[in-house]
Parts: sequence; structure tokens; C-alpha cells
Amino acid sequence: MSGVLRGEKELRALADAAMKASTADETEVFLTARTNALTRYANAYIHQNVVSTEAGVRVRAVKGKRVALISTDRLDREGVEKAARDASELAALVPENPRFAGLVEPKPIASAPSAYDERTAEATPLDRARAVKRICDPARAKKLTAAGFVQTTAGEIAIANSKGVWAYSPRTSADMELVAIGDDGSAYADRASGDFASLDVAAAADEAIAKAVAAQHPRDLEPATYEVVLEPYAVEDIVSFLAQELTGQAVEEGRSFVGGKIGEKVTGPITLVDDPFDPQARPMPFDYEGHPASRVTLIENGVARALVYDSQTAARMNATNTGHALPPNPFMSVSPMHVRLEPGDKTREELIRGVKRGLLVTRFHYTRWVHQLRTIVTGMTREGTFLIENAEITHPVKNLRFTQSYADALGGTLGIGRELRLESGFGGGSRRIPALRLAEFTFTGATRY
Amino acid sequence: MTVPAFSSERDLARRALDTARSRGATYSDVRFVRRQVEDAQVKNGALEMVDRTDTLGFSVRAITDGSWGFAASSVLTNAEADRIAALAVDVARASALTKISDVRLASVKPVTATYETAVEIDPWSLSFDDRLKLLFDADTAMRAQQPKLRTTRASYEIWREDKLFLSSEGADIAQRLTETGCSISAESVGDGEQQIRSYPASGGRNQNKAGWEFAQRWDLAGNAPRVADEAMALLTATQCPQDIRTTVILSANQVMLQTHESCGHPIEHDRALGTEAAFAGTSFLTADALGSYRYGSEIVNMRIDSTTPGGLGTFGFDDEGVPASKGWAVKDGIFVGYLMSRETAATIGRESNGTMRADGWSRLPIIRMTNVSLMPGNAGTLEDLIADTDDGIYMDTNRSWSIDDKRFNFQFGTQIGWLIKRGKRTEMVRNPTYTGITPEFWGSCDAICSKSEWSVWGTPNCGKGQPVQSGHTGHGAAPARFRKVRVGVVR
Repeated sequence: MSGVLRGEKELRALADAAMKASTADETEVFLTARTNALTRYANAYIHQNVVSTEAGVRVRAVKGKRVALISTDRLDREGVEKAARDASELAALVPENPRFAGLVEPKPIASAPSAYDERTAEATPLDRARAVKRICDPARAKKLTAAGFVQTTAGEIAIANSKGVWAYSPRTSADMELVAIGDDGSAYADRASGDFASLDVAAAADEAIAKAVAAQHPRDLEPATYEVVLEPYAVEDIVSFLAQELTGQAVEEGRSFVGGKIGEKVTGPITLVDDPFDPQARPMPFDYEGHPASRVTLIENGVARALVYDSQTAARMNATNTGHALPPNPFMSVSPMHVRLEPGDKTREELIRGVKRGLLVTRFHYTRWVHQLRTIVTGMTREGTFLIENAEITHPVKNLRFTQSYADALGGTLGIGRELRLESGFGGGSRRIPALRLAEFTFTGATRY
Repeated sequence: MTVPAFSSERDLARRALDTARSRGATYSDVRFVRRQVEDAQVKNGALEMVDRTDTLGFSVRAITDGSWGFAASSVLTNAEADRIAALAVDVARASALTKISDVRLASVKPVTATYETAVEIDPWSLSFDDRLKLLFDADTAMRAQQPKLRTTRASYEIWREDKLFLSSEGADIAQRLTETGCSISAESVGDGEQQIRSYPASGGRNQNKAGWEFAQRWDLAGNAPRVADEAMALLTATQCPQDIRTTVILSANQVMLQTHESCGHPIEHDRALGTEAAFAGTSFLTADALGSYRYGSEIVNMRIDSTTPGGLGTFGFDDEGVPASKGWAVKDGIFVGYLMSRETAATIGRESNGTMRADGWSRLPIIRMTNVSLMPGNAGTLEDLIADTDDGIYMDTNRSWSIDDKRFNFQFGTQIGWLIKRGKRTEMVRNPTYTGITPEFWGSCDAICSKSEWSVWGTPNCGKGQPVQSGHTGHGAAPARFRKVRVGVVR
């Protein structure tokens, strides 16, 4: 295993040392170590280029119903022991949380495909710079400039608790994104992978450059309701917003569109699955409490089927913990982290060919809830928006603002792409997403470019 | 003086500078950052979470072969100082593979200095119980007032950052920065609606460079019953009028976010130069606009000031060792100034105004809003402004915010609104939104409340950069009035 990792043996010894130093009734130890390297380019040269060696220690100490967290980046014996002592002392000071249901019990964790690639862990600054050059040179040849990043990350996470939980996963990822920019129009592409060698930088460059050439000189278009074909980059945003509502916590807090509707039709004929074992999605067989993660069908052909839970919301809602806990934070404790929108049978070209008059949207920008319960979101199109007329892409259009219920938009699903794109997702997870053709999408404003 | 001595860290920093120089760096700097944070949140009557974080690490930034490199680590040994310095140089050499021209830095006088935030009550000196009492009192008051609320939250954050900066040019700067933030919120659910009211600002927290006196100042418990009542009342309030053009008065905390998004970001010089193009975006305030572009009406004056008392962008020196400064972004409605780094300032023949900040030790300094503030006008109090308005809507506290990647087209929603009729605040409305184009919107600003209504707000969660960084920015703001604004875009 690469020298950038501490290894399971060392992390387990540190976790044991922390639990030994703790004076709490129950103790949970969460350890991370990673090297993150990101090479950022704009105006077709590298302007920011960073390598960061990071570590994290988080100890959750429990005394009765009193719970406290201590976090530090001192990932050595002295550091973890101090964190454990400090957490124990703090837990004695805090008031009880009567809702706290205790730390998770140990359960067998199924094996998952490896999410670690040695060569990715050993990628050098020069490797990343060469990838950037592979993007910038062809862009320049088309009189375009380019901006984006190439990133490799290698790390490991370990979770232990005093009840006997032990979970460990070494992980790598490689990601890149690119905006090819002309004088009057731009286009976006990205790629994600578990290993650097399979990160298809050239394909992304070809995609964005060709689209940017076509995107020059966009025309005004009246905001209105249009049929749309959404590239996977835009669909990922829809999936991201809806997935965070498919949790026990969201239903408990009264903000989920599926609250009280499990078993009912909530959207169009799409199927959303959270699959922590998907070998293409940088799998992880446990959650951030060290509980085994399970595959959950969230929406099946438009019918809400199930929610995901962490230990605390499962206990409060008398549900089964599905192993989807995030690291403790005050606003979101649980999330699907490996969502897949199941593919359809259409090529991208077939999706476009079905449209009489509509829009091809590459990407959304700065999307925010307007009305969470009704899944209404506003945002902008960005970097590649085109008018489709009579099954053909006719010309680029200036970017538009939409204000649209995402669940309602999926209600009008007319076609699903057959290819899935891997996108980096929330909580270190990943999503696999197809293109979609939707009957109606409401655009409510326009901008000047 | 409570700024740490940083003795051992200074030795490591000098060692790293020596190593970088010997490896070929023509410029380098080293930052050590220790950050201590305590977050506590009471939710529905119980302590949901208390999290204390204490992190310490260092980074080396180097120019070699005319390009930048950066490396960082939390391991504090001589060997690691050497490794990280050498790695920063290697990374810079790799950057040079795509170089178009050598990096040039605007000059700055290297100084030896210390700085610390002025605080009245050191939040770390209080007992934990004293701090928690603020939250429980407010949470209890909300739930007692409106037992049917679905979710109540009360939270604070206390934050301390000790920083050491050494450069190969000879700078040696130590700083201690202290922040305090607080928030309460009440959420109601019913009849297909989910509503929220929060105080004193939206979503996260209102935060200042200040001590615990800042948390006390807002009287969370005293405002809790009103917040609870409004959250429940919103469930049955009338929907905001749809797709009309009318006069809008924004609360100070909404003007704060409007300023942040539609002025603070587009005046970032890195955006204007295209180096944030792929992520945050670019800016409509391009170089040819500087000094002549009409950004807003003549009463619109936006200040860039990293000395503003209490501002989250207030410090002694930025993370390039440039001293805090004051200047204008918009003067009498004309765009006149950027937020700059040493590198971007050099491209237009200026000196940096000191806006480079990093999110802790592991991240690269990038251009950040310091305190970008809409300066007060002469419209009196909020009630004076409402009394001066015949017909319109008063909108209070942000709920939704979105703006395009050049910062032209925006759409914001607030938590609550009230119709204004003949100078009176009348019926409450729910789900208010407004939308516009930045220079048209600020061009329609015809009144800004006076200094008595002006206060310094803090945004402790501004995302920018890749890897993404969370920035702390400050904004002075007072309620302001805008004419012929498009309102109500919820389908």
C-alpha cells in the first residue's frame, strides 16, 4: 500500500489508544488521513496548484445521555488520547440529550469492491500538469481558452466504537472539470473515477471543446415553459436536491416531498437507488457511524419506496438503520451517498430527436430551494444551452433562470439516457446519472450572455 | 497581549523558507494556523450537538520557474517542514509546464507586527454553562410561545484563529482573530407549507469579529416569542403577489446578502480576470468598467474596509502580509475598485488592498471579500422609510438566494414579507421572492436608511475556490428601497 496511507493497523492502534484513554460510558473514534492534490487552471495555464496532507480525529464521548464531540488534526497517539480525554471531560459538563439513542452496535460489514487504486495515490504534480496540458492545447487550437481542475485524492477512513465497531476503507478518487471558453460562449464537461488512469481527460476535452465551438454567439430566448433535454451534469443537480429529501430526518422535520407518501406515486417513471456497493461508484460498505450500509430503492418507477436512516433518526422513528449516517453535524445527519438514477434505453441523440421545440441544457448553476416541501428550486443554466427545433440543435441561447419543482419536472419524464455518468457527490460519495428528456421545465428569467 | 509567541512554529517556518529558497524558489511564504472552534446547537429543547475543534498545521506557498506551488501539512517536524517546502517547489515546477508568463507580485513592505481582535468578553473565558444558557433560554421561549412548532434551533459558534506569516521578503506577522456568532430559528409545518423564521439573520448565523458581547447584544430570548409567532403565522398567511412590479424595501440583513452576492463577488479581481471561471464564475465588472461603469444610483456607495469594527473581514494583515485598508468599490453609483491580491493588482499597476485569505492552514489564500458594505443614506429609520412608501412590499431575512455566474441575474426569496399600503406595514405575506439584473436593481435604489439603522453583519460560510473554502465576510448594511422590482416568481 502507498506511503501516503497510515494503514489499517496503525489507525486501529490509534483508535484503541483513544478508547482506552476515554473515561466515557461509550466512545466513538473517527479517523481520517488523506492527501489531496488539485491542479487548477484558467486562461489555459495552471494558476493554482496545491497538495495538502490532512488528518482528522473526531471523538464522540457518551456519558449516559450526555454527548460531546472533540475534533483535532493531531493524528498521533498523544493527539488521539488527548481528544478522548477532552471529549470525556466535556461530556460530563453538557446537559442530557434525552433523544440520544446510543452508539451503534457492531454488525458484520459486507465486502465491497475496492475503492482504492495505488497508481492514483502515487500520481505526481507532473502527471496532473500533463493532463491539464492535454486539455489546454486542443482548446487553444480551436481559439478557445480553458478553465477547470484535475484532482487526485488518496485517503483512508476508520471508525471504531467501544461496543466493538471497526470499519476501515482506503479510498482514492480522480476528478476533472473543464469549461472551454470562447469570445461569446462556453461549454462544460467533467469526469470522475476511482483511478486516475481511467479518467478520460481527452474525451472530456473533446466534448467541451466541440460544444463550446457550437455555443458561440448565443441568441436571446423568451423565458417560458419548454421541453428540455438535460445533460447528466444538470440531472445530477435534480437528483442531488431530491435525494437529500429521501431521508428519515427530512420526513421527521416535515420538509420532505415524500413525507406520508411512501407507496404513493411522487414523480414520473424514474427509479432512484442508493447503492453503496456499485463498483462504478467508488463504493463504501459502511457509513460514518461504522454501521453496514445497505442498498435502498428510494423511488421505483415514480413510487416512493423507502427512506435512508442513520442510527439516531431510525431510533426516533422506529425504523431500521440503513447505514447512511453522515459525520455528525447539526443540520443533516443522514444522506444517500451512492445514488444511481437507473438508465433508460435512449442515446443522447435519440433524446434530442424526440423534441419538436425545446432546450438542451448542459449544466445548472447556483441552484437553491425556493420552497423545499414542494421541491421548487431556482437556478441558472450555464455553459452550453441550445435551442432544439424539429429534432435538431439549431443555435445556442443566452442563459435562462428557472424556477421549477424538481419532482414535478421528473413527473414529465419522456426519456432516459442509457449511459450513466459518474459524478462526485455529497459526503465523499458518488452519483451515477443519465441524461433526461422532460416534457416541461419553467424558465422565469433571462440574463445577458 | 494574548497573541501567541509562536516560537517553535517560527523556527519551522524559517527552516521551510530556507529549504524553498535552496530548492529554487524565487519567492515563498509560510503560514501556521491554529484554529479553535466551539459549536453548540440546541434543537427542540435538547442539546443536539457540542463540537470543539482544535486544528494546527502549516503551508508553504512558493514561486519557482515563474509559477505557483503550494503544499500543506499538519505534521509539525523539521523533516516535514523540509518535505512540504520541497513539495511546494516541485508543484510550482509542474505548474510551469503550462506557463504563459511569469507571476509578478505588486510590492508590499515586509513588516514585523502583531494584531488581535478587540473583544470585550473573551468567549473562551466563560463557563460552558453560561454559554449554553443563552441557547436554552431562547429555545425554551420559542417552544413556550408556540408549542406546535415542528423544529426549533438555537446555536452559537465561538472561533479563534492564531496565525503566523513569514515571507522570504522578510515579513513576520502574528495575529489572533476572535469571532462570535449566534442564531435562533423556528420552523412550522402544515397544510402543505413549511415555513421558517430565524433571527438575527438567515440560515446559518450572524457572526462578528467580536467577543461574547456580540451574542448578548441580540437578546435571543427576548426575540424568541416574536420569531415563533411569525413562523406559525406564515402557515396561514397570504401568498406573496405573483409576477408584479412594485416597490420593495429590504431589511438590513437582506441588503447584507444582496450586497454580498451582487457587489462583493463581482468586484473580486480574480473573477474579473477569469481565474474563477470554471467554478464561482466570472464578473460583469470587467477591467474596462473600472472607473466608469454605472453600477447603481447616485446614492449607492459600497465600501471595501478591512478595518470596520466587528466585521468578519477585519484583521491586521491579509494572508500575503498586506495591511488592512479602506477604499471604495462603488462611489456615487460608479464602479471604482476591486478586491485584489498582490498578483492581480500587478496586472493593473496597482498595489494590493489586502484581500487574500485562506480557510485555515491547509488551503491556499484566495481573494476574499473583507468587509464590503453599503454605506448608510439619509432615509431615517425603517419605519420612516415605510411611512415614505405609498405602495410596496417589505421583505425580511433571506430564505433563498441565487445569482448567475457573471452576477447579473439574481433571484432572492425572504422568509417573510408585509404589504405596504399608504405608508403603513399591513398584511403579512409568505414565500416572497424578487428578481432582477444587478445594475438595474441597484440603479433603482432611491432610499437607504440612515446610520442609526446600519449595522455590521457577518457571513461565516461563503464558498469559493477549489478545493472549496469557507470564507468569513463582513457587510455593513441598512434597510433600503428599490423601485419597480419584479416580485413573486414561485410557480
